[in-house]
Amino acid sequence: MSTISAEILPVEVAASDEVSRLRALWNTIRKKPLGMASALLLLVLVLTAIFADVLAPYDPLEARPEIRLAAPSRAHPFGTDDIGRDVLSRIIYGARISLWVGILAVGIGTFAGMIIGLACGYWEGRLDIVLQRVMDAIQSIPGLVLALAIVSVLRPSTTNAMLAIAIVIIPGNSRIVRGSVLSAKQNRYVEAAQALGCRQLKIVLTHILPNVTAPILVIGSIWLGNAILIEASLSFLGLGTQPPIPSWGLMLSSTGRAFMEQAPWLAIFPGLAISLAVFGFNLFGDTLRDAWDPKLRRRG
Amino acid sequence: MYKYVLRRLFLAIPVLLLSSVIVFGLMRVMPGDALIALMGESGNLNTKELAKIRKDLGLDKPYYEQYGIWLWQMISFNPGHSIFTNEPIAVSLKKSIPVTLELATLAMILGLLIAIPIGVLSATRQDTPPDYVGRVVAVAGLSLPDFWLGTLVITFAAMWFHWIPPIGYASFWESPWQNLQQFMLPAAVLGYRLSSATMRMTRSTVLEVLREDYVRTAWAKGLAGRIVVYKHALKNALIPVVTIVGGQLGTLLAGTVIVETIFALPGMGRLTVEAILYRDYPVVQTNVMLVAATLVSLNLIVDMTYAWLDPRIRY
Repeated sequence: MSTISAEILPVEVAASDEVSRLRALWNTIRKKPLGMASALLLLVLVLTAIFADVLAPYDPLEARPEIRLAAPSRAHPFGTDDIGRDVLSRIIYGARISLWVGILAVGIGTFAGMIIGLACGYWEGRLDIVLQRVMDAIQSIPGLVLALAIVSVLRPSTTNAMLAIAIVIIPGNSRIVRGSVLSAKQNRYVEAAQALGCRQLKIVLTHILPNVTAPILVIGSIWLGNAILIEASLSFLGLGTQPPIPSWGLMLSSTGRAFMEQAPWLAIFPGLAISLAVFGFNLFGDTLRDAWDPKLRRRG
Repeated sequence: MYKYVLRRLFLAIPVLLLSSVIVFGLMRVMPGDALIALMGESGNLNTKELAKIRKDLGLDKPYYEQYGIWLWQMISFNPGHSIFTNEPIAVSLKKSIPVTLELATLAMILGLLIAIPIGVLSATRQDTPPDYVGRVVAVAGLSLPDFWLGTLVITFAAMWFHWIPPIGYASFWESPWQNLQQFMLPAAVLGYRLSSATMRMTRSTVLEVLREDYVRTAWAKGLAGRIVVYKHALKNALIPVVTIVGGQLGTLLAGTVIVETIFALPGMGRLTVEAILYRDYPVVQTNVMLVAATLVSLNLIVDMTYAWLDPRIRY
């Protein structure tokens, strides 16, 4: 009897939790115009990335020197670059790179951070002390500088930039998860599960994990904006995505800066794309926090 | 207080040692690669020469010995030579650190000068047009990439005002005016980026503090509005702001990397990026370690500042 309830209960809690969370998010998005705007912005970004082949009017890599540095026109709304590639098409394909790098980097970083945080928070002791000092050490190096150093070892490429960003994300996430685990451990039902003789791994996965998903998702969405920014910065410095792949940061540094005075659209549009994407994720992170932070929810 | 400082210093040592292991380990993942790249570029890849260079650089020694040597070099402020330019790293650091220091300090000051008055204005005029403008300015600062802002600022200054920053770096002591002209724009770009988070924090904490009893008492006593806001409210509202500013030191140091590259300032950031591009790992590991050490010490100073700002905090 007792084992049955121990198995069924958490599943029910988790399911109802998810429903209420989605509802809370939907309510916040409906009530706050900025929340709605950020959700729409992200939707547009995701759709652009998915349907880049359909949406892009030209091949992003096709060079047509006869129309090089053409100003924005009906045929090329964002103009063309120094070898006559359509800037709009490159920006549309660039959304793919940015989102892909952002989602994978944040996914890997969050997952690894979560595992470390869960282990540190649940088992505490020596493991916790050692791992947290390692996290301190990683955090003592500024994110971009650490990413630069990692990329320098792995050689510049989109995949390596992504891995570097993931490593930068791990310490902060592990700390947040650890904090949530420490407080979740105080709950009576965890004590009950321990008393019932549940296996530790099971307690962690079914009783503790649901408590830390909200902070993970909030911090993850904010990190997505940052990850896009770091990828753009690395590509801007020539250490991320390599030409001719269309990446927003690379477009800015390679042609954008060189032809800025003759063709300002080469720098303005990629920069605008980065800003809007980062702005969208930052704002959406705020919205998620408003919706899911119990302290704020009670107040609002 | 002394005990606390000592304890913090004591705790900082293992963290720094660990980060030195991480940095060292990172640079050793592919130890020969940088050399092969270097030799390959010069077109004469020769195993004999490679072995000689490896020996000269101490790369033939076991890792723990290399690490020990490097650690000692760092502690004795003699971090060896660049493998690319062969210049002693201490010499290039001596040239580049003042540049970054000046840029970072100016940016920090400009950032605070922008953030605190606007944050206070935003809070005292909550939900009025100045508040909305302030908040939009702050959110925009968080989302605009500094490399984009830098590029736009340089170009539009040239296009509209026909002004470009003087080329060729001059130190403040050589030519103060030229130096300030060179630093004005980069410090403004970096300062604006820093100001946004500070501005948001100042606004929310001032809003909170203005509702406190002692502020109401100050109003009731008939004190002038300015004194209530700046003397009574702001001092306490600044504590979380110091935390935010402290947390931004990493952003600031990373920002200098980008801004120095765009504005061609010969600081540590640009030195590091160039070293990374040339895979000059002695320079990279020294610079990254130096940044980490700076950050750890600055964080300690930030924590000390709390006690000064808030008499309730005693260590």
